[in-house]
Amino acid sequence: MRWMFAIVLLTPPLAFAVDTEFLLVIRDHRFEPQELVVPAGKKFKLVVDNRDLTAEEFESHALNREKVVPANSRVPVFLGPLAPGRYPFFGEFHEKTARGTLVVR
Amino acid sequence: MNRSYVVLMVSLMQAPLLRAAPSDYVFLPSVSYGEREFDFKAGSSRNPGEPRQSAGSLGFGYGATQRWFTEIYGKYERLQGEGLRFDAWEWENKFQVTEAGEYPVDLGFIVELERPQDRSEGYELRAGPLFQTEFGRLQLNLNLLVERHIQAASEPDTEFGYQWQAKYRWQPHLEYGLQGFGEVAKWNRWGSADTQTHRLGPAVFGKLAMGDRQVIRYNAAWLFGVSEGAPGHTFRMQAEYEF
Repeated sequence: MRWMFAIVLLTPPLAFAVDTEFLLVIRDHRFEPQELVVPAGKKFKLVVDNRDLTAEEFESHALNREKVVPANSRVPVFLGPLAPGRYPFFGEFHEKTARGTLVVR
Repeated sequence: MNRSYVVLMVSLMQAPLLRAAPSDYVFLPSVSYGEREFDFKAGSSRNPGEPRQSAGSLGFGYGATQRWFTEIYGKYERLQGEGLRFDAWEWENKFQVTEAGEYPVDLGFIVELERPQDRSEGYELRAGPLFQTEFGRLQLNLNLLVERHIQAASEPDTEFGYQWQAKYRWQPHLEYGLQGFGEVAKWNRWGSADTQTHRLGPAVFGKLAMGDRQVIRYNAAWLFGVSEGAPGHTFRMQAEYEF
């Protein structure tokens, strides 16, 4: 059993390229676009660009992600591969207005 | 010194040096920037013929950067039939090394420094890597931890322990799975099977949104001892108020 732990400890996270990128803008506490279509079965990077003067938190239980996006900042959210379907997300700091859906096809 | 303390001290001398508190919890590798939280943990365990041991902590934590979360705890413990007593101060620092989902395995690192009330124990340093991965709605965590006493009255050893959990993310307010904790004594020379402590059992998790950026998170587990050195049953829980 010890050698199993040693392998886990010594093995760095396997690097792989994420060559597909999508942009999600936060403006006036709303996501733009509210529906974003992404490919099924592929890893991709969602760049969340907060153009508001206050922070927001990108959150989705379906996607298992929570990421704070400071005011006037961009943060990457790595996702996938995802099965086809609709994955809702919201901004936890302005939940009434900041709502959107990732449509995976 | 009453009988229950004598029983506890004898059992501790027979057990491996590193003996996790019943209130221990599974570290996660992610950090939430700007998040403030009050963190309450509690647990209770019992071995046949020994008094029930309870432990807990109350802490305040802050996501200082996108990669660093820091928290200060006050820890207490209680033996069955005795009063609550202060046990230690602890300073926990968690570092998020990779972004969630960036690689097949997310990586974090934990460094804890504890100052026990019993000054003969010196300082207690615990550190190690935190791993997380996911398969659809199944989230898996594994943490490998080493611990060492510094400036202690007795000769210190570096000891090894682990934590793991498998969680099915059913609903935000209720997720379920398994958790496990274990200690094997010295990191390079594991103790005999009867001194190792391995515990595992069912666990529940959840998050309750209170609105206005306020959230309560909880997780709890009922652990069964699966080695001779482990308590037969352990209950542990954690509740965090985030704002």
